[in-house]
Amino acid sequence: MIHFIVFVLVPLVLFGLMIGRTTEKRHLRYLDQQEQERQGFLVTQVKSFADPASDGPPPTLIVAEVVIGSDHLKTFLAGWRALFGGEMKALTRIMERAKREAIVRLVQQSTAAGYNALCNVRVDSVDIGGVNAGRKKPMAACIATGTAYRTRRGA
Amino acid sequence: MIVTNTETIAGYEIVQTLGMVQGNTVRAKHAGRDIAASLKNLVGGELKGYTELLTESRRQAVERMLAQAQQLGANAVVNVRFTTSAITSGASELYAYGTAVLVNPLG
Repeated sequence: MIHFIVFVLVPLVLFGLMIGRTTEKRHLRYLDQQEQERQGFLVTQVKSFADPASDGPPPTLIVAEVVIGSDHLKTFLAGWRALFGGEMKALTRIMERAKREAIVRLVQQSTAAGYNALCNVRVDSVDIGGVNAGRKKPMAACIATGTAYRTRRGA
Repeated sequence: MIVTNTETIAGYEIVQTLGMVQGNTVRAKHAGRDIAASLKNLVGGELKGYTELLTESRRQAVERMLAQAQQLGANAVVNVRFTTSAITSGASELYAYGTAVLVNPLG
């Protein structure tokens, strides 16, 4: 038992502490920067087109998928949290990252295709093969959809 | 073919509603990808294999949905929805459905 803790559990948690933390910080910085850059790109989740332009390409469906895994530190902390109850902040954060990343990708794809607005954005969670049922390896998987179109606004 | 997840299409009018079309698929990645994903779970970060799995499934489901729409003679599919379900380990079902319509450009 003590061997398991020293040689397996501790290194895994340290791995999460060192690599997981930096990956997460870098990712959050990247998301902040992407969201700053898209000022002027209109994102809504209403079903109708706000201020559509009369020219430009026809509106089109845009889809993005993201799957983000937990690290062992997060999984370990979540395990403790489950004993006492309360918010699992580490897991809240990976869900947040997955959802923000999905929307960032929607905007990137729309911009690349020559659109400047997205409406009817929907973000759904996905369970890949029931992995979230057994609480061994938490992962945040989501699929985001939206309709890209051209708006007059800001043009 | 114009595909949107809105009920209408800006700049177009729906002249005829042809009915619901759908496509689904259950896909898995080879075991190597599952192992790679579990290794990635040591350090956290994006599980690219599973992201790819979702992208491929979605493309295939949409393809099947569009094939149906084409058979009905539609030139657009509106109000497209995606749902997923976990059916067995390491795989996901992706189901795409929408309403096939005939549209004309306005003006």
